[in-house]
Amino acid sequence: MVSSDPGCRHLTAAVNVSTPAKNQQLSLLGLTFGHRRLYLAAVGVMAVGISLLFLVPLVTRSMIDGFVAGEQPGTYSFVRPEWLESLADALGLAPGMLTGLFLAGALIVLATASAGFFQYLKGHWAAKASEAIVQGLRNTLHAHLAALPATYFDTAETGDLVQRCTSDVETVRVFLAAQVVEIGRSILLVVCVTPVLFMMSTDLAWVTLALLPFLVIYSLFFFGKLTCYFKEVDEAEARLTTVLQENLTGIRVVRSFGRREFEQEKFTVANHEHRDKTDRLMRLLAWFWGFSDLICMSQGGLVLFFGAWWTLRGEISLGTMVAFTMYSAYVIWPVRQMGRTLVDAGKARVSLGRLGEVLGTPHEDAADQVSDSAPTELSGAISVRDLSFSYDREGPDSARQVLENVSFDLEAGQTLALLGPPGSGKSTLIQLLLRLYDYDGAGGSGSIELDGHELSCFSRDFVREQVAVVLQDPFLYARTIQQNLLFGRPSATEVDVQAATQAAAIHDSIEGFGSGYGTMLGERGVTLSGGQKQRLAIARVLLKESPILVLDDALSAVDHETEGVILKALAKRRGKHTTIIVAHRLSCVTQADLILVFDQGRIVERGNHGELLAHGGAYSRLWEIQNAFSRQIDSHGEGAADAQEVQAKGEDS
Amino acid sequence: MSSEQLDERAEEEPVQTTGLELGLWKALFTYALAYKRQLFGLGFFAMTTGASEVGFPLVSRALIDEMVALTESGASLPEGSAWLMPYLWTYAGLVVCLSVSVLFFIRFAGFLKANMAADIREAGFCKLQLLEFAYFDKRAIGWLMARMTSDCERLARILAWGALDVLWAVTFLVGITGAMLILSWKLALLVLLAAPLLAWVSRFFQKRMLAASRAIRKINSTITADFNESIMGVLTTKSFVREKDNLASFETKTDEMFESSVRNAVLAAAYLPVILTIGSLTTAAALIFGGYQVVGSAISLGTLVAFLSFTRMLFEPLQQLAHIFSEMQMAQASGERIIEMISAEPAIGDSEFVLAKIASQAKNPVPGMAVDGEPDQLGTIVLKDVDFSYVPDEPVLSGINLTVSPGETIALVGSTGGGKSTLVSLLCRFYEPTGGVISVDGRDLQERSLDWLQSQLGIVLQDPHLFSGSVLENIRYGQLHASDEEVHQAARTVGAEETILRLDGGYGFDVGAGGSLLSAGERQLVSFARAILAEPRILIMDEATSSIDMETELQIQKGLERVLEGRTSFVIAHRLSTIEGADRILVIEGGLIVEEGSHKELMGAQGRYHELHARQGIDEVGAHAEDWT
Repeated sequence: MVSSDPGCRHLTAAVNVSTPAKNQQLSLLGLTFGHRRLYLAAVGVMAVGISLLFLVPLVTRSMIDGFVAGEQPGTYSFVRPEWLESLADALGLAPGMLTGLFLAGALIVLATASAGFFQYLKGHWAAKASEAIVQGLRNTLHAHLAALPATYFDTAETGDLVQRCTSDVETVRVFLAAQVVEIGRSILLVVCVTPVLFMMSTDLAWVTLALLPFLVIYSLFFFGKLTCYFKEVDEAEARLTTVLQENLTGIRVVRSFGRREFEQEKFTVANHEHRDKTDRLMRLLAWFWGFSDLICMSQGGLVLFFGAWWTLRGEISLGTMVAFTMYSAYVIWPVRQMGRTLVDAGKARVSLGRLGEVLGTPHEDAADQVSDSAPTELSGAISVRDLSFSYDREGPDSARQVLENVSFDLEAGQTLALLGPPGSGKSTLIQLLLRLYDYDGAGGSGSIELDGHELSCFSRDFVREQVAVVLQDPFLYARTIQQNLLFGRPSATEVDVQAATQAAAIHDSIEGFGSGYGTMLGERGVTLSGGQKQRLAIARVLLKESPILVLDDALSAVDHETEGVILKALAKRRGKHTTIIVAHRLSCVTQADLILVFDQGRIVERGNHGELLAHGGAYSRLWEIQNAFSRQIDSHGEGAADAQEVQAKGEDS
Repeated sequence: MSSEQLDERAEEEPVQTTGLELGLWKALFTYALAYKRQLFGLGFFAMTTGASEVGFPLVSRALIDEMVALTESGASLPEGSAWLMPYLWTYAGLVVCLSVSVLFFIRFAGFLKANMAADIREAGFCKLQLLEFAYFDKRAIGWLMARMTSDCERLARILAWGALDVLWAVTFLVGITGAMLILSWKLALLVLLAAPLLAWVSRFFQKRMLAASRAIRKINSTITADFNESIMGVLTTKSFVREKDNLASFETKTDEMFESSVRNAVLAAAYLPVILTIGSLTTAAALIFGGYQVVGSAISLGTLVAFLSFTRMLFEPLQQLAHIFSEMQMAQASGERIIEMISAEPAIGDSEFVLAKIASQAKNPVPGMAVDGEPDQLGTIVLKDVDFSYVPDEPVLSGINLTVSPGETIALVGSTGGGKSTLVSLLCRFYEPTGGVISVDGRDLQERSLDWLQSQLGIVLQDPHLFSGSVLENIRYGQLHASDEEVHQAARTVGAEETILRLDGGYGFDVGAGGSLLSAGERQLVSFARAILAEPRILIMDEATSSIDMETELQIQKGLERVLEGRTSFVIAHRLSTIEGADRILVIEGGLIVEEGSHKELMGAQGRYHELHARQGIDEVGAHAEDWT
């Protein structure tokens, strides 16, 4: 796709260069950069095509005038107007009536066909130019989204972003591919036809153009007014879609509360609103088209009757009059569309503005201060000092602190567990570690060191390659299971993959699917349960074999037995990775070298299992709750001994 | 999700493109028959439009002939404009007639389209509210949404505008043909020779253009999906440093998009020129042979000019017909899917017998009785030899026998996929047992009103669905007429109030689409309050507290003790601590009840429950210590 590259490069360059600029404006003209020659060529051939098409009424005029002049029987000179005769002579054709007629016929076909050819070329080139621009725009958007900082996606709404990348791009595409061409054609038509008309008859030319300005103004005005009607219909449709979507996704809730009538009412309101809004729009459109037809046909009538009047007074020939009626039709119908086209074109500006907002957002700074002395391999030791962080970039004081003075040390190969209620800062800590957020900018302070080097002296990509993470809500791509797994390590062998899936207790489930590892995930494939998703995501990171392994509440949807299997498998790998586990269930954390209990961004308790129990704080209270029933096991004898033994062990260490 | 996106998705369905199924269109057309008056108006004005359009060249013809006659007569030219007036008035009349016709046919077509789309959608919605869950299990929400939005619009559009276009095109064609035949049948036949060719070329291009635009929409939907994925999965992409690879795979899609779009544009760019060139052939033929006849005085000059106009007008109706035909072919798949949906018979619903009882209760209400004339109470529930399978020969439950007394709390435990949730779904009649009988107070559930039964239930699911709106509105869904205070009370009962008040705006907090602005735990709390507010006779909790932290769960359980009193309830839980207080615990494995009894009894029995319990308990204590150290 050679043709598409320049635009893409240009866009990327434009965005990168002006990254700090806040509201980068994408201009329509700027978009065409790199494709302007193709566009100009399209305009050129369009002009040629239109000029050729203008020959047809001229030929017709000559013929009719000939007929009228030749009404005296016997002389057939009328079929050979001078220019046609000389052409016939030049071509060596015998003079005669049929020659003239045939020549005229051939000329009409030839003019139309070659006009058609140029029109085709115009269509082809304009499409090539516009599609290439749009492809560049799409690629740039995709690359840009991936390069935006994670913070951007906290506030951005997925639906809105997707809408911008699809609908708004489509609006721009339609503008470039159709509307620009349409506007160009209308202007060319008027510009080209006017001199021809004035050459034939100044008076009738004025008459032919008389109603055009009114038509343009009328349709512009009308479509300006219609825009808000269209918008209302769109909004009504959005509401209807929401009602439907919610009803269908929540159908179980609807049924279990027996809310059929309530839902039906809600739907009917939305459905009727949409219907009435559409109907209202159509009513207005009916007036528009009806009235604009009146104007267009009146224009035709003006030409016809003024033409007839002047013809009979001998001011113009009959052929001229017929030619005028034909030209009038050439011009008036495209001009009628102008209002609509211009109003639609206005939407392209809005869309470009919305796209500009996205593209104008600064990238995650790639490698600000990567130091050369930073190691290229890590053992996995982590040291955090006085780390504070707030998502609000305005300043640390004004906003709620998500992390406050967090400090801890973790040796390579050790296991750290993070506990605490939701929103206490555990996930944030992990996102800082991944350099998804920056603690060294506004809103943050303190330091995180990997192997004794400040985190910010590594590039983001390097850090992320060192940390394998299963996020709270793991994301799987709509590809095959195998492909998803290989994201962890593209070079992994089948044996590696199976080892990982077995460790994550998902191998058997995968084999159970129809196509095994080749099973597609997502809408067009199988939908995994929450637990299966988490297990697959765990297998994926186990494949990565990085020095640091992070499980961010990654076992919440996995049942206890399976959890036990996974924890055992993880235990076997102990020492291989520095491991950080975020969890709600204590069963996941008892064996950690260090347990940190978070509350409102602060570490409220720290120590290993035994120490924390002895301390008698929040951890031991949680332990009590979870343990309440295991004491009952005592009364049944078995299991209690184990429990006590383990507890003793924990206290020893 | 915008309807465009949904529409794109619909495009992925395979379709057949051969022939028109008249039966299908007839079935769809019944929706138009509800608006006979508008339909009649539409037909009338479509025809007057076509007729008046044919009139214009005829006026020009008469005018030109008159002019030629006046010139030829050699007499002095008429002074006034009186000779022009008849033509002027006729022309003006035609203009008014055309404009009014256009105004009205758009008016009627717009009305029909809007109303038929709404009617078809309404019919679909009503049916969806009745269809059983198995229907939804087999169809993705997106699929259903596409049927209900873009398919409805599209079919209504084709029906309304298609009817219009066909009527107009036919009138127009007949008018032109008739006029030409009357004016000069020889010349008319010559010109009409081109009509089949024009029709065939139009079909040829229209078919390909529609297919090409379909292909584009299909690629477009993968591009949309890619954007969606790149946004939803941004953290995962970053953590695996996948940005470059993702972009590369995206670029292959945009490449494909570029090529298809250009291919489509080339088709469109070639279409009109080809048509116009064929048209110019007829114009040339009319000119040559007509000219010859003019010279021989076989036809008038005006007739020749009219013929030149007609040859230019001929292709428009043909093009329109070809377009409609292709559109109908392409839309046939949508039509079939909609008709199929609307005519689907709900597999679960009130039988004739029950409907008759509901009708008689409505006519002569027996006080104190439910809508179906039976006692308005839910007492002893009995499952007898109940079997169930989603797919034949893959039993999910087999031979379940269970008697639940009023007010009893039943806990269901066991491995994932053992059949716990299915058992509960059967009680709710979300599915019907494939064998055996479920009865309440000695009456088969199938002999009771489905609505009545389901309105007695309160269900809290693991991943509860909330509706967009405030927390207050969501809780109130359980009892539409509840006062604010009652809503607050329900929230307090389940220990949700503290969490709710912590939200920005408290009870007024907008939970977002599907409750997306709340955490899983918060959603569970709200759905809990919602279920409690409904004062259900049977409370069902399916993993209802899995995402709630332990302390909150403890709080909920305290509140629940009061709520559960006097209510039959079913509790499914992984966390065994949740269900120790249950009156009876059923251990369900592989579709069978393998153990049954109270916590104490089961612990004493040292069976599967004990094993589950011990494992969980030991896990919590950390018995796999030896593996870790």
